[in-house]
Amino acid sequence: MTITEIVLRLHANSYYFFAIILFIIGFHTMLTHNNLIKKVIGMNIMDMAIFLFFVAIGYVRGGRSPILEPGVNHTFINPLPSALILTGIVVAVSVTAYALSLIIKLYKHYGTIDAEEIMRIRGGGSL
Amino acid sequence: MNLSQHLPALIVVVPLFFAFVMPLLARWRKQWCVPVTLGAIIFSFVAAVKMAFQVMNTGPFSYYMGDWPPPWGIELGIDYLAAFAALTITGVGLLIIWYGSKDLLHELKAEVIGWYYTLYLLLIASMVGIVITNDIFNMFVFLEICAIAACGIISIKESRDCIEAAFKYLVLSVLGSGAFLLAVAMLYMVTGHLNFTFMAEALPEAMALYPNNLLVALALLIVGLGVKAALFPLHVWLPDAHSSAPSPSSAVLSALVIKVYAVAMIRLLYLVFPRELLGMAPVMEIILWMSSLAIIIGSMFAIVQDDIKKMLAYSSIAQIGYVFLGVGLMSESALVGGILHIFNHALMKSMLFLAAGAFIYGTGVRKLSELKGIGHTMPIPAIAFCIGAFSMVGIPITSGFISKWYLALGSLDVGRPFFMGVILISSLLNGFYYLPIVVNAFFGEPEKAVAKPKPLPKQMLVPLTILSFGVIFFGVFPSLILGIVYRAAQLLLGL
Repeated sequence: MTITEIVLRLHANSYYFFAIILFIIGFHTMLTHNNLIKKVIGMNIMDMAIFLFFVAIGYVRGGRSPILEPGVNHTFINPLPSALILTGIVVAVSVTAYALSLIIKLYKHYGTIDAEEIMRIRGGGSL
Repeated sequence: MNLSQHLPALIVVVPLFFAFVMPLLARWRKQWCVPVTLGAIIFSFVAAVKMAFQVMNTGPFSYYMGDWPPPWGIELGIDYLAAFAALTITGVGLLIIWYGSKDLLHELKAEVIGWYYTLYLLLIASMVGIVITNDIFNMFVFLEICAIAACGIISIKESRDCIEAAFKYLVLSVLGSGAFLLAVAMLYMVTGHLNFTFMAEALPEAMALYPNNLLVALALLIVGLGVKAALFPLHVWLPDAHSSAPSPSSAVLSALVIKVYAVAMIRLLYLVFPRELLGMAPVMEIILWMSSLAIIIGSMFAIVQDDIKKMLAYSSIAQIGYVFLGVGLMSESALVGGILHIFNHALMKSMLFLAAGAFIYGTGVRKLSELKGIGHTMPIPAIAFCIGAFSMVGIPITSGFISKWYLALGSLDVGRPFFMGVILISSLLNGFYYLPIVVNAFFGEPEKAVAKPKPLPKQMLVPLTILSFGVIFFGVFPSLILGIVYRAAQLLLGL
């Protein structure tokens, strides 16, 4: 496969490609940062990448939203992934709210939101 | 309207409904919280029993939500495994919250106790939902409810250890759900279905066209559900979460929550993915080795613990290994052993955690070295703990023996005696850390706090007694539960 072919392929699948890049950014942020808020941000970026990927599955090039009108014939996109992802977004919002409230509690107990500091205060890193 | 037709939906909806009524009750009629919670779970339990009988008499059946047939609507599929798991969840869940109705009073602040029942009912409803649903996106939604509710019943205690453990659990759980959702996307992409049955039909064709896609989906599913089920290298969140939580929470988390993900994995691996795909990558081999490591290393970590609940938590990591060992061996007896262990471990681990909770309630002592002579001053929990310990080691006439026996038979069936060795070694290791506690409890001299414990209320003693009778009963008469487990294994293996 030549470089041009790879680029063309990536272009044709650009939604998937960028979704995966976003996923990796989110995953990396979540695992490598000590700041708990940044961890939650990473978690959200990761979730959004998955939602983007899922919604992109249902997209049909040149398709319209599936509102049927009598006598008009269009290509429609697949509405099911979008509907599913609405549920997914609700779930992600509630998880984020819960995680942030836990961080507030942690800050009250430890006076810091740095994961390493918390480990140090607890005494001894337990995996 | 015929109510019994709608049992598969009601078994989830009734606890879900009362979960949201609970905060209102907690505000106006505090004394109603416990009876209403118990009532809702008893309803689910009765429904599960009824469904189990129906499945045994007339075979698996499905229920269409809102009367929309699949692939358009959501289908609830009640097969042998689902009925069995629903029975386990509601039965053990009922006993745990019955015990908890007294234990929580001393572990939680008075104003959050109502909320605890909300979370508990949500947890039960979502777990039953995970095991009976036949739709993968529906499963994802229940997984998320289950994750939040499970973290909630840890963090409700608001001590710093609990909050920290809950946060760690939440982050890893969300990672697991993310991986699961990505796998759902990969599968939907190539099959165009979310329903297990339709997906399974479309997959062989899709496999020829997009094998890589499916392999990625498979890997994501195993990692996603593995994190949640605490399969060995992904278990890091479990010890803190299960040991710091209030005792009823630890019991339900260790006994039921991690098993539910194992059930979900069994259904996906056996019913949805085609056998050839499992042959393309050494998936079962990987699960086998991960579970063997879990069994050995979990037990080794448990030996060095001095905190009673932490030891039980590490022991759970080893025990979930048995379930996955049964899944990975792909033989009928092994699968029977693995599925049976879901039930047996639910009984014994909830009993052990509740007994540990009773010790803590009575004496305030958590350290194993200080629990000497507890058998003289708190006989019933100590005897329950003793029965649980014997069952963990796998001594005959306790139920733990039966599942280990089937696992060992299964490993010989497929000609891999190595895994029988793993089971034997881990039984020895289990003996190393459980038996000294039993010996100390009955032959040591009680000192300080252990000598004068608070008397235990009836609500805590009765569930412990029922659970210990259960462990012995299903050890002596395993055929009662084996019937449904055998049929579940045969259906899964397509025999």
